[in-house]
Amino acid sequence: MFGEQQRFMLFLIAPAALLMLLFQVLPIMIGANASFRNWALYNPKKTWVGLEHYYAVLSDPAFLYVVLPNTFLFMILSVAGALVAGLALALLLNRPFRGQKLVQTILLVPLMVAPVVAAIMIRWIFNDQFGIVNVVLEAIGLEGQPWLVQRWSAFGIILLTDIWLWTPWFTLLLLAGLQSLPKEPFEAAAIDGTTTWRVFRYLTLPMLRSVIVVCVVIRAIDAFRTFDIVWTLTGGGPGRSTELFSLYAYVHAFLNLDLGRGSAAAIIGGLIILVIGVALYRLVDRIAKA
Amino acid sequence: MPIVTRPDFLPGLPKWSRKTLFALALFGICFAFAFPVLWLILTSLRPESGVYYVHRGTEFTLSSFAEVLSDERIVHAFINSALISTLATFFSLLVTVSSGYMLSRFTGPASRIWFGTIYVFRCVPYISWVLPLYFVTQSWGLYDTYTGLLLPHVAVHICFFSWLMKGFFDGIDPSMEYAAMIDGCTRWGAFIRVALPSALPAISALAVLCWLFTWNEFLFALILTGNHVPMITVVMAQFVTEMGLRWNLMAATAVMALAPAFLIALFGQKYVIRGLRI
Repeated sequence: MFGEQQRFMLFLIAPAALLMLLFQVLPIMIGANASFRNWALYNPKKTWVGLEHYYAVLSDPAFLYVVLPNTFLFMILSVAGALVAGLALALLLNRPFRGQKLVQTILLVPLMVAPVVAAIMIRWIFNDQFGIVNVVLEAIGLEGQPWLVQRWSAFGIILLTDIWLWTPWFTLLLLAGLQSLPKEPFEAAAIDGTTTWRVFRYLTLPMLRSVIVVCVVIRAIDAFRTFDIVWTLTGGGPGRSTELFSLYAYVHAFLNLDLGRGSAAAIIGGLIILVIGVALYRLVDRIAKA
Repeated sequence: MPIVTRPDFLPGLPKWSRKTLFALALFGICFAFAFPVLWLILTSLRPESGVYYVHRGTEFTLSSFAEVLSDERIVHAFINSALISTLATFFSLLVTVSSGYMLSRFTGPASRIWFGTIYVFRCVPYISWVLPLYFVTQSWGLYDTYTGLLLPHVAVHICFFSWLMKGFFDGIDPSMEYAAMIDGCTRWGAFIRVALPSALPAISALAVLCWLFTWNEFLFALILTGNHVPMITVVMAQFVTEMGLRWNLMAATAVMALAPAFLIALFGQKYVIRGLRI
């Protein structure tokens, strides 16, 4: 039935496809089913309730006015911050200087740190009584802050932790991109006496564009589903003011034991990011072809 | 000798001050990146009484590490994490290298559909499929077992790593494989004997990344395991609530969780940097 080439292609992807079917497609379908039912952990009947959970999530003020804005704000700021920092560091590492290897190794440190460990570290550093940040602030005569129990300082710290964690990833990919750029345009610009800024603006940036866009797409999709650092840093608090979308779904499913509603929230979030993901992909495609 | 030199950093200043400023900036950046980890290590070395005044006092001790290592649950978690990470790396590579090869070497509808599927599933938030996966593993009797944690970990790597692997194979000229096939190699022979060896640097890079991702993963372990297969990240997160104020123990556990990742990354750094040059 299949030609020899088709069979080869099929064999190459069969194990991956089978795993995805069992551990991604199937669970997503079960989750979709659960989202239409009253599927609490200890309710064996699983009554069909239609779109009730979707209505409940979409009319929940906490979801609409806290969770969604938080998630989008977090996604945008975290990607923008890590991109700017990562690009700056990649440009720095792209010029030779003494000790460059050492600096490069140090800059890659956050890449090895588990998000949970990073969150624990940051929690300790910003501890309101004994954290070093407050100790230093008090030593220079300022007042220490209860960083993690105020909404915007907690949000800022989560953001900072995330940027710290992911900047090396940008640096690595952008540095690889920088090193594969052709030398000639830069030499021509140097002979013409072009300023550093103009070289960056009119040569480096446009030539790096496709690498930058790929990094941004990958990271934006990941930032949308961030869970671990928020869970360990604040648990979504104070109150529920730093909750992101993944936490909302988790809290409803496993803490409130309402799996139907948790699944509905997970599906809604999945649909949102799918739309964003496809839009971003078309953007990459257009830029790559331009 | 190069024809032109690069433009100087902050031109207009005298050379010595430029050098000092550059060194200071470098130092500041490195400090910002390394400080949290250094602080954690310092905290882990302080005795119980000194942990709240890490910046003061000079007593250091390894007793926190000894206390952590005497906790059976934590040791168990370390062994589990190492085991799962290693196995997940092995199986992920097995599965994704071939899938990436397919994406790179074939064009046409089958390849496009597979790529589209991978991209879409890469976008789906983990929570959307790990939440119901909890039921799936429970009804198959896989909840809180090695298999029940290992297979989802392998599955989650398929999308991203197939994508990366496609990029690597795109950078390898296929004409060697064609030559091998003309000389009588089968397709499998060309793939295994010709393409795989030349992709080895990329495969090493993926192995390092895969090990680190699995070791650092949290959400899967949180939802799919209970008391039988504790993973180190989950145990640490529970620590924060259970042990509240015993920061020296927290820090010691965290430092031990960092150590293997550091070693792997330090040895693997050159592969990753070389391999990611897509």
